[in-house]
Amino acid sequence: MTAPDFVAAVPGAVHSVGRDGIDTVHVESTQWTELLRAAHAGGYTRFLDLTAVDDPRRAARFDVIATLHSPAAQRWLRLCTPTAERLPSASAIWPAANWYEREVFDLFGVRFDGHPDLTRILLPDDHVGHPLRRDHPLGDEPVDFTVTRETDAPW
Amino acid sequence: MVTANETMRINLGPQHPSTHGVLRLELELDGERIVSCRPVIGYLHTGIEKSMEARNWLHAVAMTDRLDYLNPLGNNLAYALAVEALFDCEIPERAVVARVLLAELTRINSHLVWVGTNAMDLGALSVFLYAFRERELLLDLFEEMSGSRMMTSFIRPGGLQDDFPDGWMLRCERVLQELPPRIDEYEALLTENPLFRQRTIGIGKLAADDALAWGVSGPLLRASGVAHDLRKARPYCGYERFQFRVCTATAGDCYARYQVRIAELRESLSLCHQAIAAMPGGPVRTADRKVMPPLRAEFQHSMEALIHHFKHYTEGLRPPAGEAYVPVESPRGELGFYVRSDGSGRPVRVHERAPSFANLQALPSMAKGMLIADLVAIISTVDPVLGEVDR
Repeated sequence: MTAPDFVAAVPGAVHSVGRDGIDTVHVESTQWTELLRAAHAGGYTRFLDLTAVDDPRRAARFDVIATLHSPAAQRWLRLCTPTAERLPSASAIWPAANWYEREVFDLFGVRFDGHPDLTRILLPDDHVGHPLRRDHPLGDEPVDFTVTRETDAPW
Repeated sequence: MVTANETMRINLGPQHPSTHGVLRLELELDGERIVSCRPVIGYLHTGIEKSMEARNWLHAVAMTDRLDYLNPLGNNLAYALAVEALFDCEIPERAVVARVLLAELTRINSHLVWVGTNAMDLGALSVFLYAFRERELLLDLFEEMSGSRMMTSFIRPGGLQDDFPDGWMLRCERVLQELPPRIDEYEALLTENPLFRQRTIGIGKLAADDALAWGVSGPLLRASGVAHDLRKARPYCGYERFQFRVCTATAGDCYARYQVRIAELRESLSLCHQAIAAMPGGPVRTADRKVMPPLRAEFQHSMEALIHHFKHYTEGLRPPAGEAYVPVESPRGELGFYVRSDGSGRPVRVHERAPSFANLQALPSMAKGMLIADLVAIISTVDPVLGEVDR
């Protein structure tokens, strides 16, 4: 499958086709807004999804992945960029990006500059930490009044 | 005291029967008119995506059931397709057709719950009782086939968990034949009902452009006049071989959504009949040993089968490194799992693109300027399942 036309206009954008048959475009985070704008102008007017994958071993630890759809061409598109912590917001281009960026901020701690209301969405406002980071423990709660905690088992 | 030019702020939910779960809405009201509406979600956040990362690829199937709990088989299917895209494996024909049958049965199940609860929200309690009576027939079928009424985990990467029990297909057909007159009954109660029409016609309008801009999908989008259905637009599981039409309406209001869902019930029934008629024989589990473990009977005469079994239950599935997203048409819209593998037995990331999440985001634009009582109708016709909104 050939790359969508807009890809050539964005310097540094690398096109590939995923194993699921979806066009995938990788860019550096500095090109993120330019890529999003070009994709929107290229007919990808439906914003479907935004998520991230964390790899704490890397300096730019997050891969932020947006999924778009072009109703005219009936094609799906995946855009991907690595980032350390900050990205420009896409919510001015697609209003639908609003909640998705809040979710990625909430669960990963990626900040989206220019977002109108970057607050936590799924977790309580006073929650500490970003649970979908790979170095965030899965979590268990200490249970009070158990025999085994802080005691040397005598047997 | 609220003076003449002041607006009032109130909370609707999270513990309110009309919010279909635990949705909270912060409303700003001018009298009974809604000036602004801000959905507050997260009350049902259970960290399912985090839990999936900590378990193996097969365990995640059981968790997909719990996302959109009215569409468990559809969730299983979307997840299975994404994992299969990583493996690139062949699925036996019987399993492919059976998946269509199961996906459509779940769609009927989900739409029945919707018809019932929507009518109940608007004060028509008997429709709720009738719709749940019919849903029970479907849940009995699911229970007989998978052992569980709702949390089926029946569609797995590589095919189905098992074949259908003896006589199941006949009983399924009998249930399907019972449904059309029952749907006529709901229509007799609602379609021309002046109270129902008053509460839904012209209420909660969503223009096609707005719907597209908000990433809305499913019946909500089709009721706004956009004939977008993934079963046609991006066929999976061989939907291109089936005859069905994409149900649309143009008004974009609550009544249009009702019309679309009722029409979809009938289309799904026809799809189920077609799937049963086209159901081939043969296995329902792929022969690819990397994707599905062999059946126990094979251990008797195959050392290899035993090794594969051992590998499966110690390491689990090991999809090749890569990423995949396969969208399917759930009863609520575009559902897809973004999965990423590093080649190990545990997923690096499983993310659900939940249709309810995007649809709910468009709620404020539908609610603006409406009455509080209309908001109840609007929430209901958006049909959010908070299990998949909050994940």
